[in-house]
Amino acid sequence: MPVDSSTKTLLIVDDSKVSRMLIRTHILSQRPEWIISEAACGEDAIALVANDLPDFCTMDINMPGISGTEAAEHILANHPSVKIVIFSANIQETHQERARSLGTILVAKPVTEKSIALALDYFDNAQ
Amino acid sequence: MSELAIKHFDMEDISNVINLGLIVIDADSRILLWNNWIAKHSGINEADALNRPLEQVFSEPMSPAFLSALKNTLAYRLPVVLSTALHRTPLPLYNAFEKNQQQSRMYQSISITPIQSRLDESCSLIQVTDSSTSIKREKMLRSHSEILKKEATTDSLTDICNRRFFDAHYKMAVADAKRQKHCLSIFMVDIDFFKAYNDYYGHIAGDNAIRLVAETLKLQISRATDIVARYGGEEFVLVMPYLPQKIAEQFAEKLRKAVFNLAIPHINSDPFHQITISVGVCTGIPKNGDNLLNKADAALYQAKQKGRNQFIFLPLCETEEYLEQ
Amino acid sequence: MNSLNELQLDALTEVFSIGAGRAALSLSEIVGDEVRISVPSVQVISSNDISSTTLSLNSGRFGAVSQNFSGPFNAEALLLFTEEQALKIVSDMMDSQMSLEELAEFEHEAMCELGNIILNACLSAMADILNFTLDSSLPNYTVASADDILMRLKKNTNQPYIMILHIDLAIENQRTAGNLVFLLSSASLTNLVTHIDQFLDPIS
Repeated sequence: MPVDSSTKTLLIVDDSKVSRMLIRTHILSQRPEWIISEAACGEDAIALVANDLPDFCTMDINMPGISGTEAAEHILANHPSVKIVIFSANIQETHQERARSLGTILVAKPVTEKSIALALDYFDNAQ
Repeated sequence: MSELAIKHFDMEDISNVINLGLIVIDADSRILLWNNWIAKHSGINEADALNRPLEQVFSEPMSPAFLSALKNTLAYRLPVVLSTALHRTPLPLYNAFEKNQQQSRMYQSISITPIQSRLDESCSLIQVTDSSTSIKREKMLRSHSEILKKEATTDSLTDICNRRFFDAHYKMAVADAKRQKHCLSIFMVDIDFFKAYNDYYGHIAGDNAIRLVAETLKLQISRATDIVARYGGEEFVLVMPYLPQKIAEQFAEKLRKAVFNLAIPHINSDPFHQITISVGVCTGIPKNGDNLLNKADAALYQAKQKGRNQFIFLPLCETEEYLEQ
Repeated sequence: MNSLNELQLDALTEVFSIGAGRAALSLSEIVGDEVRISVPSVQVISSNDISSTTLSLNSGRFGAVSQNFSGPFNAEALLLFTEEQALKIVSDMMDSQMSLEELAEFEHEAMCELGNIILNACLSAMADILNFTLDSSLPNYTVASADDILMRLKKNTNQPYIMILHIDLAIENQRTAGNLVFLLSSASLTNLVTHIDQFLDPIS
């Protein structure tokens, strides 16, 4: 199957199904050609990335098992090409700093058109 | 304000004599109301404040917490409180302005409430109180309410729970036991030949005996789930969840023995010539229609019939009784 | 309404996690330290089944901050802390060294504020995500036994269902941690469910 150069793959990592649905819907309305996969925890995300490397990834922080920041750190150490946006309701300074030090950005939840635009902007510029 | 109040008073007069700071700002933070109290404690008069943005009126900064609270009230129309404990002095307000004197800011308690203007604009009402006065008031209220609370549920003679508390607690304990299907025990306790004691020793001695028995009963319970209450006159009641029948019986005997061991002389009580109690116990998992209290009372009656200074156990459910026989 | 389905509960959990995040941010600005707040679970249970035991509250005295909300649905939200915890949280939030006795004088107001921050954060998250606004009374603080508080709640609202959230709160460097119980009772949780469904509809 010929793949359009604008077709990108995105992995959504969030323990909330509703949150994953929300991100997926918003992204697809802006980038209908993207191929999206999902993981409900950090461990699954790491396994999925190893199997099928995505271009981009959105990562929740508070999840059962390892935290999103730990998962992001792990993924970036092994696959530095993946661009990760951390989506969290917790935007205290310590988390912002941690995100920056990993080379990702922290976008405040809730998932809205505006926060998705910030994430897409980051993905676009990172290419 | 009611129509009646509007007819008789000017809103402005009230806002100006009230012992509380009032500021109203609109959605753009422009000041619409600035009462005398605020003028007095900020040193800024009304004419200099009205129609100007709040941020520009004060020459000193307002605290960041105050500003973000204000923003939240406007965005979500939810009321916000800023307590003295956590903020102290959000606004540059002072108790008095005296020339050539370094003043420290007034401790404040602030609440911000969304209000709607007649033109349907979203505005915020900021209320400021001098918290040194509210601290004193709270101290008084606190001690007052604690006395009331204690009086409402404590028996004044014996200092154990009163009938009112028992009634409320019993209802809850039964409901809990029903729902969670665990067993509940009720112990009805009555001092034997108490009328004769009162007649012979007098009411003051009678009150003392009641107090001593109450204290002794109370000493026998230790779990947070258990209560002992004065049911009336010389009658007491204990409510205890999770006791198997055998333990409940042992406990009833423990109660009887503890009072017996007080060895309070009672010349008109045969054959021991000292104060004793009779105990009626009922244990079971209550279902609809069951009445633990009536059963315990019936058991107490039997204990009296059989010669007093003893306990009688009755199971809540008849079938349990048959099974045991 | 009998109960919420899995997706509706998930949506509510997400709403309250975001509320918790906002509350943590506000609190961290006050204490100047990282504050962690999480919402491990949201439950809706029949009000007949609610008691201190089902909420796993002990028999001590509790501080309760309550606010009444009105709008698309009317609700009473209640936040419960043990009295001991309340004092500890307040003392950690305050910068000055105060005796516990002095502190008690401030407890009432400070707990109102703490409760107000958490309740408002949850409500503002609801407003943003589920797209409705509620009017609210100022917070009210009472100290009583858990059963007294629950009895009053049941009497006031007379509703068949109560929503319960267990909230974990920790102030990072103070080693203070507490579990708060958040109760939302309403005569018409149905209206809340309608809003959740309207929110879920376009994304599912």
